Amino acid sequence: MTARPRRSWGALTAVGVAAALAIAGCASPTGRDTAAAAGAAAAGPVPLVVYSAEGYDAPVTKAFTAATGIPVSLVDDSTGPLLTKVAAEKNNPQWGVLWADGDTAFAALDQQGQLLPYIPSAPLNAVGKALVPASHAYTPAATTVMAAVIYNAAKAPGAPTSYQDLLGPAYKGLVGMNDPAQSGPTFPFVAGLMNQLGGQAGGVAAGEDYLRQLKANGLHVYPTNGDTLHALETGQIAYGMIQSSAATGELAKVHASAAFNPKIVYLPESTLLPSVIGIDKGAPPAVQDEAKKFVDFVMSPAGQKVMQTGDPSGDSLYWPVVDGVTALPALPAFPAAYQRIDPYFWGPLEGEINTFFDSTIK
Amino acid sequence: MTAVAFVVPDRVRLGLTRFRGAPLLAFWVLIVAILVAPILLFLLVAFSPRLFDQGPEWFTLSGFGEALRGPLLQGLLNSLLVGIATALVATAIGFGVAWAVARTDVPARAVWTGAMFGLLLAPSYLVALGWERLLEPAGVLELLGLDVTAVRALFYGPVGVVVVLAVKGVPFAYLAISSALRGLGEEFESAARVHGGGRVAALRIVVALLAPAVWSAVAIVFAESISDFGVAATLANDAHFPVATFTLYDAVDSFPIRFPVAAAVGWMLMAMAGLALLAQSRALSGRSYRVLGGRSRPARRHRLSPPATAAATTGLAVVVLAGLGVPAFGAVSASLIDGLGSLVGDHRLTLANYARVLASPELRDPLLYSARLALITATVTAVIGLAVARILSARGTRLSSQVLDLLLLTAVALPGIVFAAGYIFTYNLPLINDLGIHLYGTTALLVLGYLATALPSTSRVLLGSVGQVQESLREAGRVHGGGAAGSWLRTVLPVLARPVLAAWVLTFAGTLLELPVSQLLYPPDHPPVAIGITKALANYDFGGGTAMEVTAVVLALAVVAVAFGGFHLLAPTGWRRIGRTHD
Repeated sequence: MTARPRRSWGALTAVGVAAALAIAGCASPTGRDTAAAAGAAAAGPVPLVVYSAEGYDAPVTKAFTAATGIPVSLVDDSTGPLLTKVAAEKNNPQWGVLWADGDTAFAALDQQGQLLPYIPSAPLNAVGKALVPASHAYTPAATTVMAAVIYNAAKAPGAPTSYQDLLGPAYKGLVGMNDPAQSGPTFPFVAGLMNQLGGQAGGVAAGEDYLRQLKANGLHVYPTNGDTLHALETGQIAYGMIQSSAATGELAKVHASAAFNPKIVYLPESTLLPSVIGIDKGAPPAVQDEAKKFVDFVMSPAGQKVMQTGDPSGDSLYWPVVDGVTALPALPAFPAAYQRIDPYFWGPLEGEINTFFDSTIK
Repeated sequence: MTAVAFVVPDRVRLGLTRFRGAPLLAFWVLIVAILVAPILLFLLVAFSPRLFDQGPEWFTLSGFGEALRGPLLQGLLNSLLVGIATALVATAIGFGVAWAVARTDVPARAVWTGAMFGLLLAPSYLVALGWERLLEPAGVLELLGLDVTAVRALFYGPVGVVVVLAVKGVPFAYLAISSALRGLGEEFESAARVHGGGRVAALRIVVALLAPAVWSAVAIVFAESISDFGVAATLANDAHFPVATFTLYDAVDSFPIRFPVAAAVGWMLMAMAGLALLAQSRALSGRSYRVLGGRSRPARRHRLSPPATAAATTGLAVVVLAGLGVPAFGAVSASLIDGLGSLVGDHRLTLANYARVLASPELRDPLLYSARLALITATVTAVIGLAVARILSARGTRLSSQVLDLLLLTAVALPGIVFAAGYIFTYNLPLINDLGIHLYGTTALLVLGYLATALPSTSRVLLGSVGQVQESLREAGRVHGGGAAGSWLRTVLPVLARPVLAAWVLTFAGTLLELPVSQLLYPPDHPPVAIGITKALANYDFGGGTAMEVTAVVLALAVVAVAFGGFHLLAPTGWRRIGRTHD
């Protein structure tokens, strides 16, 4: 006998569909389009949609709303998923402000014409000035460096003084780092090595050669900062090259013991890894105005103070780029030997360099 | 039938017929909205990046070029091998567990049944991480003084990936097969024995009659395994053993973002699932497996000899230990012990992580929010899944059921990130916004995304049971004067109540800790619990992150207990009797 979907099943389906539509009917959009329409109707401030990967973003946005009366809708996630969202939304962006670590992705967004140039009024220190792009397409709000070499002084044979040291027999099999394809902060580090060893003129060859030698000396590659730290704690490695804020946070959290005594050394040269804010060029003018106010608030003493208290064992451990703001006491002096890599040169090479790393070093 | 029916004008009758077709139309509209359109638009990017501003070309095959060489090709091949191995292993084990629990007097049957649901609740990444906690350097086993170097070398690779995925696949196979086994009365075995067949002949008949469920199990475990992301992102990634879902994720999650390449990998995953479906339909075509009717008789339990009892119990214990014991130990110890798996501190027991987690609204609110969404998703999915399973189990060569079948299995094979990105492509289109549909960035779209990820596997799990229901059951109700809905409620619902509850629980648990769809679709200011957990773990707050996980899993277990407890206490005796065996 042929069995066909019967009416009773149709009714069942109808119940399900009705339930699904009821959910859809309950939609209370928070996207920019609707928010703008609502804002226009109410003539009040439009909610500013902030996509952020910073540990201190929730307190900062709350403080911003308290200070200005502008409501903020926050999407807080890791840099990867946020950039995926931004890319997927490209033909109809929903974000007003994008805030994450690393300027190479922002340089790419600028080259695609997605960022609104803006010059905040806050005075910058020397490091901050070095980080500002000529186009002013994004604003550095703070900086960390890549890499901090965190090592277990209870087990490690000694502290290295240069990246070349890590190629020596004393370090064989003891060094670990993150995978640049999975760890946002690590591509600038790899690009920084290439910049340091070969320069923009020399290209990637010398850096690739260095990484091959490191690999030959037993380099371990882990997905992200947390995994490399875990390998350090479990004794799989004695030296981990990770982001300075993660390394400093580890020192702040861990009480040294006979088996584990973490210390940090910064090798010449440390590559700057700024926390960067960009404004959507396609946003309505009202949203852009709010976004500019947001950038100004972040760069103000009040905003910087919230940044420094919002994630005390994580992202708050940054070096300020605003003149007159001092770093938290847990941080050492800013590494004397540092470099800023040109994100407009190295950013477009990210795919190629990560593929090399994936197939040759990992 | 009353005379009134004869005087209803044709026009009205035509109108009524149309009205009766409306639910089916609405069903297809929903399927297109939540599955077809998002998947299609995502996959379209492989050919035409320009359509969604993802590249300059209107038509290109370069995404496929990239997907079919180097590490991405390796990932696809690894996924294929892992999928086949996992499907075979999990189905064999699932069959064994289902048989032992439903047809033998093996001790502690309720424990094993509960453990199968426990396995469904455990996210695959938790199972993988549990194993890693045991085997890693300075991990639990090494702290206990065992040298596990050789085991670690073996486990950190394809073997470990297959073991974890097989353990996660067992409950899917178990559900598909045990539902069918419950519905298969004793009469078929008895018939074989009466006609002089031995135990082997009876078993052969049972296995043959369960073929739809077995194939369903193989297909669903295969599709679930190749689309798994939890193991791909943890054990496989740590072992530098690339699988397709991770390479797909990598293409859209690391800069530069390459949607066309990800879409090409998506096509390959779909093709693999399509092959599994083809094998399934080839194996089953032209036969009927309708065995559950009004005259089905409960089966008797086989009495196991003492050695067989010991062997069966040990086997069940190993499966449960591998899938539940290890991750539970890993998660609970990591959340309770200060500095487990590290050289830090003196490994004190502490509840500080839980105190911190429970005191913080940053966890509490997301957990409650996720629980609400899981509740809605599970309910809607169970209802629609039932309808889907009914359409799929219709015999004959109806195009709609074939299309739906293909669609659902291929949807199982696609990782959540594909749905999530596809939802953005679809519901953030300016054209859709111009039509007045503003779903992107809302809770509603997140729920629809959850529904889309849950529906394929849920309806395939239900298929095993729904496919067994003979039409005669409901027709008998109609003959005796019941209305369409009334006779369905009185005849079919009791038969399906238990599998539907199982499907509900499965969806609830899966949705509660869902990550990829949550990540890309969660509405601003309302992060689901998985986002909070991932953030804590990414910031190396290992204790806090795992304490959140354990809290969420405990909540899921509590809901499961309430659901099954409620069924046991409140459902009519007849509902509970279906599928039971004589003790």
